Amino acid sequence: MIESKIGVLQEVAQGKKHAMEQCVTKYGGLVWSIARRYTKDHSSAEDIVQETFTDLWKSAHRFNPATAAETTFVGMLARRRAIDYVRKESRQPLLEPLPEAESLPHASPETSPALRCESQDVREALKQLPQETQQIFSLHFDEGMTHPEISKKIGLPLGTVKTRLRRGLIEVRNILRQAESAQPSFSSNR
Amino acid sequence: MSPQEKLYRFEELEAGRILGDLDAAEVKDWHELSEELDCGPDFSLELIAAALETEAVQEEALPAGIAELLRQGIPKYASLEETETAIIRPPIWRSLISSPQSGWAAAAIFAALFIGMLAKQPEPLKPSVKTPSELSSKAARDQLVGNAKDLIESDFGATDAYPKMTGKVVWSDALQQGYMTLTNLPVNDPGDKQYQLWIVDPSRDEKPVDGGVFDIPAGDRTAVIPIRNPLAVTNPAAFVITLEQAGGVVVSKQEVVVALATTS
Repeated sequence: MIESKIGVLQEVAQGKKHAMEQCVTKYGGLVWSIARRYTKDHSSAEDIVQETFTDLWKSAHRFNPATAAETTFVGMLARRRAIDYVRKESRQPLLEPLPEAESLPHASPETSPALRCESQDVREALKQLPQETQQIFSLHFDEGMTHPEISKKIGLPLGTVKTRLRRGLIEVRNILRQAESAQPSFSSNR
Repeated sequence: MSPQEKLYRFEELEAGRILGDLDAAEVKDWHELSEELDCGPDFSLELIAAALETEAVQEEALPAGIAELLRQGIPKYASLEETETAIIRPPIWRSLISSPQSGWAAAAIFAALFIGMLAKQPEPLKPSVKTPSELSSKAARDQLVGNAKDLIESDFGATDAYPKMTGKVVWSDALQQGYMTLTNLPVNDPGDKQYQLWIVDPSRDEKPVDGGVFDIPAGDRTAVIPIRNPLAVTNPAAFVITLEQAGGVVVSKQEVVVALATTS
């Protein structure tokens, strides 16, 4: 069940100091743990945590309890920051300048459709994917393995791992959309 | 590639963006297709990835030193009480809230100016490939318009700063849902400034209700934006769009008022 009572994020959105402190206590561990999945460097993880909470203070008002749990929303902000960090890091050794990773925009609930994303429903939807794709998802999300690590472990080309993860994610969304039959959508007709 | 194939390609790149695995060439493709197809980020895909990751992560405690640093930084953002008394409300807003009569007069002036501007610039909308998100927002808006028995409709009047902007808002008290259809609102840089909607509900409070922050991405000449009101609104007197710092604000100083729609 998606949270429906007034949560700490809605109080954060109202600028309440005690709610922000509560938020650090409640979600600090989650944000830290996500950051550590993307970097083993303590100081970089600390930066990711700082940036995530700054984002949270500024964007808590965007949280919509009808579309996701607070944990998912906070996790989403942490992932964004962590992935931004990885992009910046991976850019360093390259000789040719890459397009600015930062220029890739982030989604906001105001500009894209609100699909209800409960962990349980997402897991159920995952079960409808081919077995091999489920395994790749498990290795990536549950075990925290990178694409090259997955490729090596299961003996599939890197490009295949990448494609299956991407298409699998889209397919999960389409399955969830179909479940939300009241909302017609472009992708559910594919 | 056909338009449909391009959409599928963009969708796959968007999933890659969310998974963090786009290479340089794909980032370039993402941008080009985004512009060509009027497509933007997919919030649902991102939430799904986040749901999977947050559920799987084995939580460790946040080091005490970092928690302390975070707490020390909080006062900078918990500024509601401090700033509330310093708010200067511009005449239009204040009059709408405190005096319905004068508010309607202000609205009438606004409306007259707005109609004049509309008459001068009847630019047709260019046909464009509809994004999944756009289609969905439009469909949801149309559904609201079809179903709501207490539908309020009002046109947005632009301000001097945004003379080409046109738009309409629909709202239902009973369903607590609403949508804005906005045309010619300039693209904003979400990292710098964002648009924010405020709903003036004199029956509730003098303070307007935050209706959500939103962006106008490149290529979106007409955007359908859902209203996100965390608090219940009844009988709204006006909808006001302001331009605020990235992430929006808890209380608007209304330094940049973009548009106003009254419900008289």
